[in-house]
Amino acid sequence: MLKLIISHETRQIMRTGALWSILILLIGAIIFASWSGGRSIERQVEGAEAAVTFENGLRDHMRKDTEKYAAQVEAEGGEYKFATVRHAPGSGPPQGTNAGAVGAETSKYVTLPPTGLAALSVGQSDIQLNYLPISLATTLDVTKNLELENPVNLATGSFDIAFVVIFLLPIFILAMSYDLLSSEKERGTLAMILAHPISVRELMASKIISRAAVMLAVVLGFGLIALITVGTGLGTADTWMRFALWILATLLYLAFWFALAVLVNVYGKNSASNGTVLAGIWLILVVITPQLVSMLATTIYPTPSRMELTIAAREAQTEAEKNFMSKLDEYYYDHLEFVPEGDEKAMDFLTLAQANNNSIEKAVRPLYDNFQNQLNKQEALVQRFQYLSPAIMMQLALNEVSGTSADRYEYFLSQVYVFHEEWKEYFSTKFLQRYPLKPADYGSFPEFHYQEQPFGLVIARLVPSLLGMLILFLGVMLVPFLALRNYQVASR
Amino acid sequence: MLEAINLKKTFGDYDALKGLDLKVNPGDIYCLLGANGAGKTTTINLFLNFIHPTAGKAEVCGIDVTEQPLETKKLLAYIPEQVMLYGNLTALENLRYFAQLGGHDYTETEYKSFLDRCGLQSGAYIQRVHQFSKGMRQKVGVAIALAKQAKALLLDEPTSGLDPKASNEFSALLIQLKGDDASILMATHDLFRAKETGTRIGIMREGRMMQELGTDDVSHADIERIYLEHMHGDSSKYAA
Repeated sequence: MLKLIISHETRQIMRTGALWSILILLIGAIIFASWSGGRSIERQVEGAEAAVTFENGLRDHMRKDTEKYAAQVEAEGGEYKFATVRHAPGSGPPQGTNAGAVGAETSKYVTLPPTGLAALSVGQSDIQLNYLPISLATTLDVTKNLELENPVNLATGSFDIAFVVIFLLPIFILAMSYDLLSSEKERGTLAMILAHPISVRELMASKIISRAAVMLAVVLGFGLIALITVGTGLGTADTWMRFALWILATLLYLAFWFALAVLVNVYGKNSASNGTVLAGIWLILVVITPQLVSMLATTIYPTPSRMELTIAAREAQTEAEKNFMSKLDEYYYDHLEFVPEGDEKAMDFLTLAQANNNSIEKAVRPLYDNFQNQLNKQEALVQRFQYLSPAIMMQLALNEVSGTSADRYEYFLSQVYVFHEEWKEYFSTKFLQRYPLKPADYGSFPEFHYQEQPFGLVIARLVPSLLGMLILFLGVMLVPFLALRNYQVASR
Repeated sequence: MLEAINLKKTFGDYDALKGLDLKVNPGDIYCLLGANGAGKTTTINLFLNFIHPTAGKAEVCGIDVTEQPLETKKLLAYIPEQVMLYGNLTALENLRYFAQLGGHDYTETEYKSFLDRCGLQSGAYIQRVHQFSKGMRQKVGVAIALAKQAKALLLDEPTSGLDPKASNEFSALLIQLKGDDASILMATHDLFRAKETGTRIGIMREGRMMQELGTDDVSHADIERIYLEHMHGDSSKYAA
């Protein structure tokens, strides 16, 4: 019996012209979103590659200079020396022998590789640079590239598949289902059907199953197409496990919207009022609530503006310099080229600059820590309030699955901080020892390798959102399911 | 067989049906007469389990409709005042769908013969029904009832709004259906049609059965006179 009604309903859906138009629009949106998401990730990857290539080129240039210099020393005899700041280009040891110069004037770019699904949910990855320069300079360089904005607020900005799933798929579902029962009632066919041996529950279930099948085909089909066209790492198990979780989250989200349509149909009046009520709920859950939660997060835990951070850093720098320099020293510090020949002061100043950087870092570090803390608190608040709207749960889930969550970024940053220390340690030690860098040393510079979050952690972070959506779905479904038992077809 | 036993239905504080006893035997066409609000449609809806009785029970072939609604619906066919079909399906597609819902399946030829028996022009079989007139839709409705091979038929003013010719054709069809030993219960306002097609007549007023008559025992004029007496008279003096 179910099969019969399902095939009938499917035929009805297929013969509804308006649904075809919406379906075509939806497919168009999915294709555009795939392209746009893919483009966004591609840009990030290209940007990272360009930066890495550029900096590697600089270092390569320095290495070649040291090779030339080494050959010269070999031929002419003499000592392989360390370049002072006042070296004359073309003669004497090149700058590349000075660890301080190499460590400070070239950067090592560390990159956060996108997961295979990143293009499907760009999330916050377009505001958090996935490649950061690491040099002897302060951690300022690490964080100054961060957009100081609420992540949830910005997360809704990109037109990616996640946007289509969260915003547009519910509209499509509601367009198919807002009049599930009411249209049959209004047409008069409900009485015709229910005069046959079939219960309202069976009828409702068949209607949902046939519509869900259409949605499933669209989501699975186009999700897969999107993954294959703009996803990466298709050969890895990681990508496919993430994709399975992505589908699971999407199904739970869609199930909620179907359940909502059923609920409104059981208690609602006519199709027009059902449509209005459902559109209102969509607006509240998908547009207004996430905005409110975002506003709440930024109001309760405001982050300092970028301007404040920059000014604070400048003040710290001025303060640090004031403490240990005379007016003349200050002048020489700024104009190393005027330091009298043979005066070792130039080297002292470079050492000072190192010390200076460290003290500035110490001074501004609390500010950045505070900034990061506020961001974490915002994130925690959003996590806590996500249960107010399935759209928030879904966004968090999709970001988590796609590896574009704030959490994965922080995981990356923590490794970056460690690497930064490693880099500083390597170059400043060699610099302070006046150790001349040799061509072979260029191969032993510290390297950054991002350690991916363990998959268990991703799942653990997904559980609250997925569970929240499941409970919401069951709750919304249960009410009409029970009510339909005593559904009265006719009223007075 | 259709049987109502002390059937009551209350909507809020309004008593729509105040203890109805009714029996329709196989081969009977029982016509329920009465003004709007007399409880005719409520009775039919109770037999269909579209609404649940406040007290008493309705049975189809001895089965209580609230206890086994799906069983009784296998035995029932229903033709409402407006037979409503899926406008974007053809007459044949509609018939096939409803027949299959009733648990039957026939060949294409058999489906066509049902429509043919109901007097639908063959050109209309494969037309989508959204442009059908009421008369044509009622014919498809009867075809659906025929295909269901129902033991009991419930008709709710099926001829209201039909022109006399269509109405006459419809009555002829009913007599055909009765020949299959079905119990037919029909709510109607048409006294003339009730006398012509019905075997028994029940006159209802304000949720009560006022009087039952055999159509063979009375003339058209008698029916009209008795009906009007009930409509104008003091209802309490007839109350059971």
